[in-house]
Amino acid sequence: MNVACSDRERIFEDGTTAEWAALEQHAVSCPFCTEEIRGWKSLSVVAKELRGYSDSPSFWPRIERALAEEAARNAQRAKRKRWLSFLPNFSPAWQTVLAGALVLVLAISGGWLILHPRGGKVDNDKSLLKSSALKEVETAESTYELAIDKLAAEAKPQLENPATPLLANYREKLLVLDSAIAELRAQAGLNPSNAQLRYQLLAMYQEKQRTLEEVLEAKP
Amino acid sequence: MGTMGLALPWRARISSTLRERGTRVEPSEHLADGPNPAARDALSEDAALAAGCRSGDLHAYERLYRMHGARMKNLARNVLGNPTDADDAVQETFLKVQRGVASFRGQSSFLTWTYRILINTCYDARRSRQRKREVTNDDSEETPRLEPRAPGAHPTLRMALERALEKLTRHQRDVFLLYEVEGFRHAEIAGMLEMTETASKNTLFQAKKNLRLMLEPPRNSAAESR
Repeated sequence: MNVACSDRERIFEDGTTAEWAALEQHAVSCPFCTEEIRGWKSLSVVAKELRGYSDSPSFWPRIERALAEEAARNAQRAKRKRWLSFLPNFSPAWQTVLAGALVLVLAISGGWLILHPRGGKVDNDKSLLKSSALKEVETAESTYELAIDKLAAEAKPQLENPATPLLANYREKLLVLDSAIAELRAQAGLNPSNAQLRYQLLAMYQEKQRTLEEVLEAKP
Repeated sequence: MGTMGLALPWRARISSTLRERGTRVEPSEHLADGPNPAARDALSEDAALAAGCRSGDLHAYERLYRMHGARMKNLARNVLGNPTDADDAVQETFLKVQRGVASFRGQSSFLTWTYRILINTCYDARRSRQRKREVTNDDSEETPRLEPRAPGAHPTLRMALERALEKLTRHQRDVFLLYEVEGFRHAEIAGMLEMTETASKNTLFQAKKNLRLMLEPPRNSAAESR
């Protein structure tokens, strides 16, 4: 193989073993190429000076420790990931949709709580309970009154013509009780939520009931 | 730096070694006669290392260190300029290998991939060092501080070469260090630096031309014209 000075740089860059041999052959008769080859190879020789392979006994233990720590951290991360693995795997698109839905639900819930504060609702409920309780009391009262009226109707013949002084006394007592009941009912009409009036009214009805029962028992 | 005023006595100093070395053209790069037994062994060793590291076996990492740790440290030291930063870069490389080995798909050899990580880690460290220097307004040095090594046969030449290498482009420096200092083949360098084999050869050629310009005394114009 014949090479010329003009081939030198190409061979330096990407020459085959045969081309290098031919260049060296050419250099025997070409001082400039001899010098160029020497300079070129010199760099490779000097490059060896940059090799300094020394081993420090403490270096591998240091790397090993770092690797072990990293592995432990990875294991912990994997554990946390496993804990969350019960969640189904959704595609990123579905994850976006679900996240959007969650934000929407939270926004609506937040808005509802702001528009309907808890304190006001409780007051309303209390008011409803009061009204309902009052209605129940009034219903029970009217039922009780009707029952007592039935007793009074039964006792009426004896009371209109009392045969004994005891029956006359019962008649006087019932008139006083009716008068007290009428007065209490008038006050309860003005202040229907007054529980004390309701208790007094109940006590009067109970007394009237007992008196009427005694009148019926005293029947000759 | 220019030629650093250093009239390198190439002939006087290294002429005795010239004949020993020969060219770095290796048959495996030019004669693709199929894989030889040594290459097959290297491939299976590479695959075994990758598999061991992927399974988290610390012994595999230790084997990687025993086989390549010194070479990795030397490369890092030549890129970074001091052994402390080089040690940090090698350790960081091992950690990055551990973090990334699960995603290693075997498109290159495991070692090529590892050295690519090392080189990138070294340049990250260089950039980080540069940023720190900018923050502290320490513009006293543009190039890494080259700490002294154990004396070699040609300490003056070595220092001159280290300084000249800093004036090369990154790729030129990398290819020179990987080929001439660490002894990798162009095919391996191409994988490490993500370039073609031809580009690696061309980059080495440019690197050596530039180094000669910086290190050798100027030729006379008559000889230059040839």
